[in-house]
Amino acid sequence: MSARQAIQVGTKTVKPVLSVTQGEARLRVLSLYKAWYRQIPYIVKDFDIPKSEEQCRAKLKEMFLRNKDVTDIRVIDILVIKGQMELKESVNVWKQKGHIMAYFKPTEEPKPKDFLSKFFSGVE
Amino acid sequence: MLRQPLTRALALSPSRVAPLAARKFAAQADKVEVFIDDKPVYVPPGTTVLQAAAEIGVEIPRFCYHERLAVAGNCRMCLVEVEKSPKPVAACAMPVMKGMRVKTNSDLTRKAREGVMEFLLVNHPLDCPICDQGGECDLQDQSMAFGSDKSRFTDIHFSGKRAVEDKDVGPLIKTIMTRCIHCTRCIRFASEVAGVDDFGTTGRGTDMQVGTYVEKMFLSELSGNIIDLCPVGALTSKPYSFAARPWETRRIDSVDVLDPLGSNIVVATRTNEVLRILPRTNEEINEEWLSDKSRFACDGLKRQRLVTPMIADSRGNLTPVEWEEAIVAAATALRDCPPDKLLVVGGDLADAESLVALKDLANRLGSEAVCTEHYFPLDGAGTDLRSSYLLNTKIANVEDADFVLLIGTNVRFEAPLLNARIRKAFIHKETDVALIGPKVDLTYEYTHVGDSASIVKDLATGTSSHEVLKRLENSKRPVVILGADQLKTSEGPALLAYTQELALSLQDKLENKEWKVLNVLQRTASQVAAMDLGYKPGVGEMLQKGPKVVFMLGADAGVITRENLPKDCVVIYQGHHGDAGASIADIVLAGAAYTEKNGTYVNAEGRAQQTLPAVTPPGKAREDWKIIRALSEVVGARLPYDNLEEVRARLAEVCPSMVSYGDVQNNNYFAQARALAQSLQKPVSGTLDVQLKQLEDFFMTDSISRASPTMAKCVQAVIKQKQSPY
Amino acid sequence: MSFFLKRTLGAGRNLSRAILNTNQYPGLQLVASKADQVQPQVETRPTVAKFDPLQKAHLVDFGKYVAECLPKFVQKVQITAGNELEVLVPTDGVIPVLQFLKDHHNAQFASLVDIGGMDVPSRPYRFEIIYNLLSLRYNARIRVKTYTDELTPIDSACEVFKAANWYEREIWDMYGVFFANHPDLRRILTDYGFEGHPFRKDFPLSGYVEVRYDDEQKRVVVEPLELAQEFRRFELSAPWEQFPNFRGNPVSEDVVDKTDDQPKKE
Repeated sequence: MSARQAIQVGTKTVKPVLSVTQGEARLRVLSLYKAWYRQIPYIVKDFDIPKSEEQCRAKLKEMFLRNKDVTDIRVIDILVIKGQMELKESVNVWKQKGHIMAYFKPTEEPKPKDFLSKFFSGVE
Repeated sequence: MLRQPLTRALALSPSRVAPLAARKFAAQADKVEVFIDDKPVYVPPGTTVLQAAAEIGVEIPRFCYHERLAVAGNCRMCLVEVEKSPKPVAACAMPVMKGMRVKTNSDLTRKAREGVMEFLLVNHPLDCPICDQGGECDLQDQSMAFGSDKSRFTDIHFSGKRAVEDKDVGPLIKTIMTRCIHCTRCIRFASEVAGVDDFGTTGRGTDMQVGTYVEKMFLSELSGNIIDLCPVGALTSKPYSFAARPWETRRIDSVDVLDPLGSNIVVATRTNEVLRILPRTNEEINEEWLSDKSRFACDGLKRQRLVTPMIADSRGNLTPVEWEEAIVAAATALRDCPPDKLLVVGGDLADAESLVALKDLANRLGSEAVCTEHYFPLDGAGTDLRSSYLLNTKIANVEDADFVLLIGTNVRFEAPLLNARIRKAFIHKETDVALIGPKVDLTYEYTHVGDSASIVKDLATGTSSHEVLKRLENSKRPVVILGADQLKTSEGPALLAYTQELALSLQDKLENKEWKVLNVLQRTASQVAAMDLGYKPGVGEMLQKGPKVVFMLGADAGVITRENLPKDCVVIYQGHHGDAGASIADIVLAGAAYTEKNGTYVNAEGRAQQTLPAVTPPGKAREDWKIIRALSEVVGARLPYDNLEEVRARLAEVCPSMVSYGDVQNNNYFAQARALAQSLQKPVSGTLDVQLKQLEDFFMTDSISRASPTMAKCVQAVIKQKQSPY
Repeated sequence: MSFFLKRTLGAGRNLSRAILNTNQYPGLQLVASKADQVQPQVETRPTVAKFDPLQKAHLVDFGKYVAECLPKFVQKVQITAGNELEVLVPTDGVIPVLQFLKDHHNAQFASLVDIGGMDVPSRPYRFEIIYNLLSLRYNARIRVKTYTDELTPIDSACEVFKAANWYEREIWDMYGVFFANHPDLRRILTDYGFEGHPFRKDFPLSGYVEVRYDDEQKRVVVEPLELAQEFRRFELSAPWEQFPNFRGNPVSEDVVDKTDDQPKKE
């Protein structure tokens, strides 16, 4: 009884979202990546965005690598689910051009970093 | 509008509780047990039912009762049922008795409240939609909570409600006397706290009116407080009339900087505009009062503002420029200046952050000429020992004093709330007050000893034959308050030395070793912080050298003029108002006022407090320490702090007490200061004079209040009142 | 429910029943008996909701019945605001409890009125998911509450109630609670590409991005938004107590509380 409780305290058993093992989660991530990768030519064409396929692939890689340090299987699963939903929105052309271009953030200006330029621009 | 449950007001701050608690402990045995709604509570005898109820968190509704004023017992709203009493009793006036069982929510109590409310509303107009008190009105709230939904007084449908002519009591207070419910709080405040016996009632019953008998301005520096006290909309703020509703304003806790006491305030803002300033309770400083200048000068924050950096063109006219240009121009001037020809002056309203940044910058440039506008003698201990330039007794303790000696200060206008404390002691504890200096109206009686500085010397050396000396020596808790203005003259060091001698010889004889006698009352909010940070008080010496560059941080006191500067001198002014300083400047850097920045101010007691930004600085104005920090980088002497935390860390390095907000440290080393001052005791012969003698002098003393139209109106009204026969 | 309804209506002996219940289930805390001890005051004020002790007794009885029938899933049964029955269940108890309430002959809560969410970040399971059910047959309402966090999925109630589909999409969209086995889980209210879940307490009031039409790009662009939160102090309440009746009175009363006997599932 006490041993069981001790184990329960030490290791939290959680309900899996989708994947049970790290490998399974990895597989899901890779298949999502492939699905996006294959969709890119169609996205470029369907949405008529001013970006080449190479640029889109680079962006795709960048966005996946942004989460490269995530190790919790459940977090990975939730991210994959969200990625799939995004993909579905793109495939079905529920999104519009602006939504796709929002990944590239073309209008954002870099913020001043050092004190002086922050002071002169009036941005805190 | 300051409203709070009595429960909170009862929770006194720690240092005030200490002696009180000790007293309470001794009297533990004779505490009385009473039952409020069947809950037992132990209170000392003499406590009223209302206070006893507040102890356990039951707020009994009330209009006339106020914890800082005498009990009147005339509104009858606090009626409660007491077991075995034939009729309901007024809780605010009824002392508790042993075993008393009070019912604050019984049918009888509720019926009594409903009845009182019905009577009050017979004549109170239902003009809440156009009433400025709407939303913060005690009558409104309490009629919602305790009143009935209808009235049985149908005859007013035919006769109409009572109407009362409005009074004119000056440019600050708007009166709509029809709304008055005759709680007499304003009358009691005027006669007890403000010391002006002009208010009173005339007539009886329906004909009763609150007023000033003859049309007269309310000549007090604390008049604004009756707006807060008024439970209905009879007395409202004239400058704030019809400006906003309380629920649409954002309230930011801050600290006042227009007098040296650092009263706690709440800044009410809307759409980036300061609408009004209200007091915030701090038992240690301002209780819940606020002086009129602190309260009403806030419209000066919108006028005469420097909204953009400026540089004087070839013809000497200041023209707006971009920040880059102004900073580069200022940096060039600083860089080209030989270190010994640079003069830095900290002004009256400067915060500690910008003061420390400016001092660091000057020191990095090799200059030590970092000064404040107000002089303080550097001989003897000078500013090295904090005890020689602070209010050591502390504001709250002044009310425990039994003898107060004022030397060359008109406390009433230099620090109105300190004067209110002295008056409180005078009224309730029979404290005696004596004054050396010009005869002024302090709102209470005092012994005028004379206006010659030699009296201080005689008192200190014990050669005086005046009765005051004997009374000082016999008193158990004497307080000596010296006005810092007296130290400007060549006799200043000697006067300070004699005052120290007098105060400390008194202190040595006291039984209570904790009691501090010596007090120096500074005139401005920044002076203590500046001296803590190592600013040299007074610019006289530096001006002699003929500086090439003068950097003025809000220095508007008029100490530096074009006349006493060399022709080719470059004046850089950084500040928020176009006042004396900006008018002589070659380069103007637009800074932020105290409502626009997170700044540290140290009050006359040595208590560090911070202001919080309520609105953003107007136009291109920036926070002051940031301007200096940016300037330092362009000059090439980069200051090592980029954000407020780092500036505060630097502040803590220089003066640790400056970042422990709200606390005040006990000062020691009195004996050392006295010993160092011994050699300075030279004969003095001058007369003491104070700057602010009359009420009209009080309103406009700094760049913010000078820019305020309300303050200008006050001065006009006071002068006009002086000419009136009443 | 109908069983209790008929019995108590016919006999009008809910008082005796309540006492009988106490003896029967000594472990259970009883509210009905407490309520019955107080002499019921007749409420005459027209604007105040009338208290119906009979209705409350029915609710208490039914709450206990549910707890008895589903001992594995029901953690707590409580009555809120005088006459609202709530069943608190763990995450994996949602489907069985809803199925029971829908299909049991004495319940017939066949209508899912809505599903709500609540975020209390200080709790270990920060989200509370609330199912409001209505029984048209017995004119009764019941509330089923469960709890979860950002990562623990809840089984979708779609197989029990078709109505759950959009409600669960809304919860997913607004709180980010994942519903397993949902037939069509995707966003329902927010814009495509919207990041974050707006009803979470840590989601800023102003959001993270602002959207505007850009003339150069000839389309809508999304840009990060930065609004500093000001220092502010709310002083909305008057010092006078407006509702003294609520001083010290808990909102809900427990009917069945098994959270203490049973070690909480982590």
